[in-house]
Parts: sequence; C-alpha cells; structure tokens
Amino acid sequence: MERLDAAQARDHLEMIDRILSQSQPRLCSGGEYFVVWGIAGALITLIGHLAGAGLAAAGVLWCIPAVLVASVIFSVVRGRQKRQAVTRSSLVQREFFNVLVVTLGLAVIVDIAVFRIFPGIAGAAIWSVAEAIVLLYIGLHGNRRAQIGGSLIVVSLIVANFAAENAAAYVLAAGMLIGFAGFGLAELIAHD
Amino acid sequence: MDELLLSKVRLGVVAELLDFDWVAFSELARSLNVSNGNLGAHMSKLLDAGYVEEEKSFVNRRPLTRYRLTNRGRDAFSTHVSQLQALLKAAT
Repeated sequence: MERLDAAQARDHLEMIDRILSQSQPRLCSGGEYFVVWGIAGALITLIGHLAGAGLAAAGVLWCIPAVLVASVIFSVVRGRQKRQAVTRSSLVQREFFNVLVVTLGLAVIVDIAVFRIFPGIAGAAIWSVAEAIVLLYIGLHGNRRAQIGGSLIVVSLIVANFAAENAAAYVLAAGMLIGFAGFGLAELIAHD
Repeated sequence: MDELLLSKVRLGVVAELLDFDWVAFSELARSLNVSNGNLGAHMSKLLDAGYVEEEKSFVNRRPLTRYRLTNRGRDAFSTHVSQLQALLKAAT
C-alpha cells in the first residue's frame, strides 16, 4: 500500500485548492432563453392589454398560446442541443435552470389556470414577479447584470402600480423587455 | 487513506468534477495536462470504484464522453481531504 508523506499531502492539497479556485463555474449560459422569454412575456402582456382595451380584435388573443408554445418548443429544442454538446456544465448552473423552470413554469400555470383570481394586468404582474425572482436569484450569486435586470423589473412593477390604468401594461412589458430580454442579450454579448 | 485517491491524477479528476455536473474527457485531459491514454487508464479505475459515472454520446457525428462525480466519489474525496489535512497537521 502506498503512503504519503507530509510534503506530498501538502502538494495534493495545493493542487486541489488550485483546481477549485480556477473552476469558478458560470452560473448561467444560455442568454437566448432570457431573450425569448422576455420578448414572449412582453408580447403576451401587450396582446392581452390591447385586446382587453378593445384596441385590437379579440381574435389576437389566440396569439398568446401560439407565443407560449413557440417559446416552450424553442426552450426544449435548444436545451437538448446544448445539453448534448456541452463539455462542462456546473452544478450551480443546473440549480439555476431548476429555479428558472419552476418559477416561470409556475407563472405560466397561474396565468393560464388562475385567471379569475389574477385577471388581466395581475397576470402580467405575476409574470414580472417570476422574472424578477429568477434574475435576482442569479444576482445573489454575484452576476451584476442579473442584479440590474431584476431591479429594473421590480422598478417596472412599482411604476406600473402607480401609472395610469391603461399605461400599466406598457410599463410591465418594458420591464420584461429591458430587464429580462436585455439581461439575456447582455449575457450573449458578454460570453461570445 | 483511500488508495485510489493517492494518485495525483485521479485526485485531480475528482477535484475537477466536484463543482460540475458533467465534464468532457477532453476538458479533463486539457485541465490536468495529461495524455488521453494516461487519463483513460485512471478514469477506468475511478469508474470501477463507482466514484464517477460515464456518459457516451455523439455530437455532430463525433464521440463525446463526459463524466460526473457520484455521491460515493464525493464522500471519498471529502474523507480523503480530511485525512490529508490531518496528516499535514500532525507533521507540523
């Protein structure tokens, strides 16, 4: 049986320290998901508002499930592609994706199935809250862009609350576009 | 001490996998600066001991082999590091 002396033990521990300090797993890769879901959230909010206010034909409401389905299909297909090709994926990244799926998944369910309790603009606000949770969670792990994006969405929620009734949807949509999709775009630019 | 982790390469592999879900064989060889043949032999021993899991697939018709640490490997690493620290402490 091999034995280690103190010098070898020190050498092995130093190697472990070096590897762990260099690993620095990235919390998130895949800015495209944020871009897609940020745009989808804003589009759904605007379509719902325009149809509700009578500024667009009620038929445009059918665009909402279409946007949702397209976003889900994109996410699943892209997720499979990335999962197959990735050579190094961190545990933190997996945890982050779990938070993303659970939070946004819950928001979709609430918006679709709990529409009597959260009608109209309340559904959009739920979506904004979900997006803010995802970004602020990433922000807690030190991502400055996510902190800014999440804060912008929170600000949009507060501004929407005090804005004129017919302006609230535009404010929330802007928060989703700038905060969520903007964060995704910034991530894509930063890591390319 | 865990004899399997007395090898610097195998210990390095486990440390590399610690914070990651999956890491490709090529990434491990590059990070640890070892040849494919050398790393392959060490990975076989870690696989046999149940310290790592292996996943083989094809991406763009090229083979991709990835590894991740099992709970058994994580526990073994944790115990081994404690023993290394104890050894160092005893010597100083």
